[in-house]
Amino acid sequence: MNELPIDIPLRKFHEAYGAKMVPFAGFNMPINYKAGIINEHKNVRNHSGIFDVSHMGQVLIENNDLHINNLEKYIPLKLNSLKKNKSNYTFLLNEKGGVVDDLIVSLIEIDSKSFLYIVYNASRKNEDEKIFFNCSSKAKIIHNKNCLFAIQGPESIEVLKNKIEIPSYMNFLDIYELKYKENLVIVSRSGYTGEDGFEISITNEQAEIFIKDLLENENTMLCGLGSRNSLRLEAGLSLYGHELNEEITPIEAGLSWALDKDRLNDTTLNGNKILSDQLYNKPSNKKIGLVSVNRAMLREGMILFDDNKNKIGKITSGCFSPNLNKSIAIGYVNSNFDEENEIFCEIRNKMELVKKTSLPFVKKNYKKNGSNYE
Amino acid sequence: MGVTMSEKKYTKDHEWVSIDNDIATVGISNHAQESLGDIVFIELPSVGKSVNAKDEICVVESVKAASDIYAPIDGEIMEVNNSLEGDAAIINQDAENTGWIFKMKVSNPSQYDELMNVDEYKIFLEQ
Repeated sequence: MNELPIDIPLRKFHEAYGAKMVPFAGFNMPINYKAGIINEHKNVRNHSGIFDVSHMGQVLIENNDLHINNLEKYIPLKLNSLKKNKSNYTFLLNEKGGVVDDLIVSLIEIDSKSFLYIVYNASRKNEDEKIFFNCSSKAKIIHNKNCLFAIQGPESIEVLKNKIEIPSYMNFLDIYELKYKENLVIVSRSGYTGEDGFEISITNEQAEIFIKDLLENENTMLCGLGSRNSLRLEAGLSLYGHELNEEITPIEAGLSWALDKDRLNDTTLNGNKILSDQLYNKPSNKKIGLVSVNRAMLREGMILFDDNKNKIGKITSGCFSPNLNKSIAIGYVNSNFDEENEIFCEIRNKMELVKKTSLPFVKKNYKKNGSNYE
Repeated sequence: MGVTMSEKKYTKDHEWVSIDNDIATVGISNHAQESLGDIVFIELPSVGKSVNAKDEICVVESVKAASDIYAPIDGEIMEVNNSLEGDAAIINQDAENTGWIFKMKVSNPSQYDELMNVDEYKIFLEQ
């Protein structure tokens, strides 16, 4: 298990642009560039930023009855009624209804053939791919030949202007095969920052030319995983290994909106009984948002207490929020904890008062009406 | 005793120390602030506290992690840089000057002599 981290195709390019590289989920990844995490974060909220997320898994599975039937054991959606050119946030579930991974499943057409295009977490590649290949012996991994970039922020559309023609009717979670310099690229209007933006799958050969091309926009900048984390936390989005794992169900994680409720009555779906039970009775834990009251930083793993010093839960993600200028966190507490009561967080052996707040911390800014500032 | 403004010296924990008579001023090195990244919070030590070299006495928090600040030598905390409480990012901007963290009365000056000078610290960083 002591394997060295793998380099993403543009490693040298990132280093030349001042990236600080750190091992993450088995890959050497940029955590930040010279501007630093806070400046990168603010640039995405105010303008735009470019993230290399080529560590993530990408697979194409031919869309046929057999594959869909097999996948529906793990994925809580009606896969045969997915809309073409749409992306869906969903999960792979284990037998207990726990989350093997969270993913984006899209129905796209390539060379007039229909495929499920799935993007999944780098840290879960082994577990996910075992399932994909069980469901389809011809599942085609494409992350070895395609990089994945996320262009995020209100000016994302400006960054892509004259580079990739984005259809005016393209909304949040739409996905199309479009052209960059005569070559096909997969473009979805999505991301994980709470901002408008695009995720673009492009061949390794074209990747560097493409990114240099986008950097011609003076208001954009390369951003690392550090700001991607603080952006997704402000947007209240869950991250695998933190808010999600094999012991937590999507319902406990507050993500029941992403489940197709009809599938919960379907005994072929993993964990369907547990999930439908949790949907109608409440699960034992619930997800909450927290902000610090003094300036102390809330971090993953810190324990939460009520005012009688009873342990009520713990923090699963914490960071400094550049938008709120204080620390924010997501955590789980017992469902029977009365939210009117005060919550304390143990920080370096001291009990610090924290404040419960609703998620997200920062309002999402997705494009849902097709307008794109043109 | 009785030395005036000394040269700046460094610890293996990436802190700097300069001594004026028997008062040492302490902060983190420029190298330390660079590797910590954006600093967003500092928990300052208590004035009047007696400390021994290597004691954890306060904490700086960057967007990435919390790191302990150690007493570089034995002594008593005399003063803390309160302006850091409102704006800990001063450490990023000027770690080895206005970003000083605390001043302490030195009880064992020979410990200061054992610290690295700037050239020795540079070599230490390259190792």
